[in-house]
Amino acid sequence: MHIPDGFMPMWESILFWIISLIFISKSVLWAKQNLDEKAIPLFAVLGAGIFAAQALNMPIPWGTSGHLVGAALTSIVFDSPWAGVLMLTLILIVQGLFFADGGILAMGANIFNMGIIGGFVGYYVYKSLKSINSFVAAFAAGWAATFLAAIACAVEMAVAGTFPIEQGLMFMGLYHAVIGILEGIITAVVVEFLKSVKPETLKSESTSLS
Amino acid sequence: MDSKKLIIGGLAIAIILSIAAPFLASPNPDGLESTAEKIINEHALENNLQQVGLEEEGTLAPSPMPDYTIAGMGKIGEILSLIIGTIIVFALAYGVSFVLKKPSAN
Repeated sequence: MHIPDGFMPMWESILFWIISLIFISKSVLWAKQNLDEKAIPLFAVLGAGIFAAQALNMPIPWGTSGHLVGAALTSIVFDSPWAGVLMLTLILIVQGLFFADGGILAMGANIFNMGIIGGFVGYYVYKSLKSINSFVAAFAAGWAATFLAAIACAVEMAVAGTFPIEQGLMFMGLYHAVIGILEGIITAVVVEFLKSVKPETLKSESTSLS
Repeated sequence: MDSKKLIIGGLAIAIILSIAAPFLASPNPDGLESTAEKIINEHALENNLQQVGLEEEGTLAPSPMPDYTIAGMGKIGEILSLIIGTIIVFALAYGVSFVLKKPSAN
């Protein structure tokens, strides 16, 4: 759901850049206070993996496709929504500057939808459900992060006049309700995998165990 | 698992994804593009394009490998562009987290 330049008027692009820059500076602060030196390799390798996985569009019905976003996953692995914000900011910068994937003006809105909404929704859905079952919680986190990011995108497109609000919500909601299932499965599988090979990296798990 | 193994294993997965994606990825439009094909307001699009100075939607940034392609290199170019992107993201995420890491306890 990378918004290209041309889908939004200038004022809206600038507004979302301002909002996102505030969140990005908070995420930088988070890293300075919480990102342990030992976590650097995992952060870097997770970024590389999410970038590559985003290129793998998977088919869904209605002649459409979708791919991983990864903010929920990052937030769960690093036990903070700010990790998801920082990660998606870096990935969207590379995608926007080198690959024309998402506009440079629209990048603020893309960081807002995928990084901020994705990171916060993913983190808090996981946190609120993990006592029941961590696999289900990670799945729900991935699904909700994708779905709500798409809803936010549809509202932005309606404000821009680019999509009519009702149809925009319907199509964006429908497609991403399905794409979210893929995000949920990948999020849950990767979280379980990382827990099995490197449990100390999942801070939210280790703190609840200690 | 030590960090060397983590980096090698993780990068291997990312590179395998980069090689496989050009062959396996669905060519269908994504959710936003599909929605746009069906319901976009052409008039609003025209206005916004004019405002930002583009002929069609895309980006104002000069992108050396647009849509994960390298001109004239076909599938090999797609694979290469993804591998290059994977390495750039790895280096950027490593560099940024290295610079921003919290001060060590001692």
